[in-house]
Amino acid sequence: MLSFVLRRLLSSIPVLILVSLMTFALIWLVPGDPASVFLDASATPEQIENLRRQLGLDQPIWSQMLSWYERVLSGDLGQSILLRRSVADAILERLPITLSLAALALFFAVLFGILLGSLAAVNHQRWGDQSIMAIALLGLSIPDFWLGLVLIVVFAVQLGWLPSGGYVPITEDFVGWARSMALPAFTLTVTQIGFIARMTRSAMLDVLRQDYVRTADAKGLSHSFVVLRHALPNALVPILTVTGVIAGGLLGGAVVVEQVFFLPGLGRLIIGAILSRDFPVIQGGLLMLAVIYLVINLIVDLLYALIDPRVRYG
Amino acid sequence: MNARILQLALVGGLAASGLAVTANAQQGGDVVIAQTQAPPSLDAHVTSAQAARNVNLHIYETLFARDENAVPVPDLAESLEISEDGLTYVFQLREGVNFHDGTVMDAEDVVASLERYREIGASSTLLSAIDSIEATGDHEVTVTLSEVQSTFLDNLSSPRAPIAIYTAEQAALGANEVDYIGTGPFRFVEYQPDSFVRLERFDDYSVNPNYSERDGLAGAKEVSIDSVTFLFMPEAGSRVAALESGEAHVVETVDGPSAGRLAENDAYTVHNVLPFAFQVIKFNHAQAPTNDPEFRRAVMAALDMEEIMAISRPDIYQIDGGWLFPNSPFYNDAALDQYNVADLDAAREHLANSSYDGETLTFIVDNGRPNVDTATVVQQRLAQIGVDVELSVADWPTVSQIGFTPDGWHFWAHGFGIEPFEGPASVIAPWVDGVSMQADDPEINRLYQELTTAMDPDDRAAIFAEFQQHMYDDAVAIKAGNYGLFQVSADELENFVPYRIPRMWGVQLNQ
Repeated sequence: MLSFVLRRLLSSIPVLILVSLMTFALIWLVPGDPASVFLDASATPEQIENLRRQLGLDQPIWSQMLSWYERVLSGDLGQSILLRRSVADAILERLPITLSLAALALFFAVLFGILLGSLAAVNHQRWGDQSIMAIALLGLSIPDFWLGLVLIVVFAVQLGWLPSGGYVPITEDFVGWARSMALPAFTLTVTQIGFIARMTRSAMLDVLRQDYVRTADAKGLSHSFVVLRHALPNALVPILTVTGVIAGGLLGGAVVVEQVFFLPGLGRLIIGAILSRDFPVIQGGLLMLAVIYLVINLIVDLLYALIDPRVRYG
Repeated sequence: MNARILQLALVGGLAASGLAVTANAQQGGDVVIAQTQAPPSLDAHVTSAQAARNVNLHIYETLFARDENAVPVPDLAESLEISEDGLTYVFQLREGVNFHDGTVMDAEDVVASLERYREIGASSTLLSAIDSIEATGDHEVTVTLSEVQSTFLDNLSSPRAPIAIYTAEQAALGANEVDYIGTGPFRFVEYQPDSFVRLERFDDYSVNPNYSERDGLAGAKEVSIDSVTFLFMPEAGSRVAALESGEAHVVETVDGPSAGRLAENDAYTVHNVLPFAFQVIKFNHAQAPTNDPEFRRAVMAALDMEEIMAISRPDIYQIDGGWLFPNSPFYNDAALDQYNVADLDAAREHLANSSYDGETLTFIVDNGRPNVDTATVVQQRLAQIGVDVELSVADWPTVSQIGFTPDGWHFWAHGFGIEPFEGPASVIAPWVDGVSMQADDPEINRLYQELTTAMDPDDRAAIFAEFQQHMYDDAVAIKAGNYGLFQVSADELENFVPYRIPRMWGVQLNQ
């Protein structure tokens, strides 16, 4: 197991190098730099050039690239051009917000997704199944930015129960944190439940047709025991796969939700950096996202072994 | 020295917004403003972004500032003497003005700040006429110009990238490295760059004793509230929701339908800030056929400005061809008979005499909805006279980089906001040396030179009328109209009067 983890970690290094090279290529291909964000439309080329010099943007791209790799190898992601702090600090400040949002959404999406998917499977081709699948399809089809705005109008503007946006750190006030996370996490959850519910239903239907399930039923075990003890554990592998994909997707979805709910998370940081061409933050942020994806994949692979005894890593 | 002495301190209060802080005003409260974008920097010298101005002009002050009618008046300066030859400016500074770090402003701070701006200022050309800056007393600064510049005070008081006065210690630091210490009525507390800025009332603020009322960016800046927080909310629906849920007191800009809905609610006041900017369509004079005045005239004759403005800036626009705002003393009607003719036959005639050969032309535009709408209307209109235009939409950094090069574009549409507010020289400046159209226009260069050296306001008005005539005769660029902003304030915020920035002095919060 340990050698498997080590091999996976080593194999992720070329992936990270590739991600950083592609990011540099994109930055080099896309015109514009932070000077245009500092200045208005009447700025003269001299003023732009002067500011570019002040901000250290007058170096050629290959020189910027070499010094970036040098710094990264010594554990330094560089300094943000606009944020007046190191890229690592900027990311670490925002990472807990994005991760807690994604984790909350994932937890509820998995919980309700598996529950609804299982219910649909055991009620196959009955009204319960069709209702659940219709709701799942609706959840999949609703754009998260639209749902977020509707929830704000209902729960923040009309009812006044929850804040319309903003973030309260959990270390300051747990209730405040829960209130600030409720609507964004619910928005993300609703749009992801459908995936898990549909996958669970399909996997459960496969398993429920297996001989061992029929045998368990024939032995006189209660059907709910059969479903929970025999069917569900065997349907978990494909559910786990789709959960891994969703975990990555949640980080992407969090970008939009963070924007709507005014949450200062990693997605908002990277979007802001792209729009203002804050190159070190784009580099560092995308590298961090790549690391998160790789870690999620690794965790999913390790969980396979945990839930399916047939899977062994040597 | 046979000097003209401007007893400028006496003018204080004359043109104020008319809302003095009364003795029984409500004290305290934390005001929240929801604005669209985050400031790229709180170092006032290095950015001319509107988002930065909104915040920075609460923290920092300038020697001269614009009053309610955009006229330069003293702010940190007490008075000014200008030599007869117009080359020497002697500023007497107000005494006892406190910085947020507890030090008291003196001439050395002013000299260091002006020198810093000349070196790294985002609009350093504002001070390009300066030959030397000297501290000639504890509270006296003498600025010598290398040539007469009639717009020097306009420049010095420009809010574009404000020539803020820092402590000498801070002024020695590089771009974006300062600690946000100014003399303004609010002091910096906290900045989460992609989230919010929080400022608190500066209790040791030295209110300008020469004024009795709020007056533009100058005047008596009496602060009643405890703090102001600027939230950066790019999502329009979220900004309105923050207002309606009571989490924000002012929204910098809302869309027309939301403004209409909020106007029906007694809890809010919708302010029509009109005019706030121009909608301008620029031509690339370095490329054919937009280098051909006949082709440009064809475009100008074809366009229906009502159509452009009604679609791109619905509900808050003015059909006005003047290259200044109508309330400017330099506003004139030169060549306005050529504005908004919307005559397709005349356009076809100009086109037939032009060098246009049926090629596809590129209209670059940033992804802001009004600019894309402008480009789309122009594209459809020009199709009716047989001109083929393709749109190239990208984000602002991309478009602004391409638009200042001679290749890759023929048309470019965006707003001009701060320039017409500042006055004639700022409106002409973007066209000097062909910066905005990528080819020199000697006539514009000459007019700019004449305007910036003409000391008589009547002469300047005549020169600006000549500029406007030239803009139309040669169709150098097209002004489609004026547009505004819908700003909304909650009614518990009293005495809020919109200006170029949402000022938080002179307001009270009923809690």
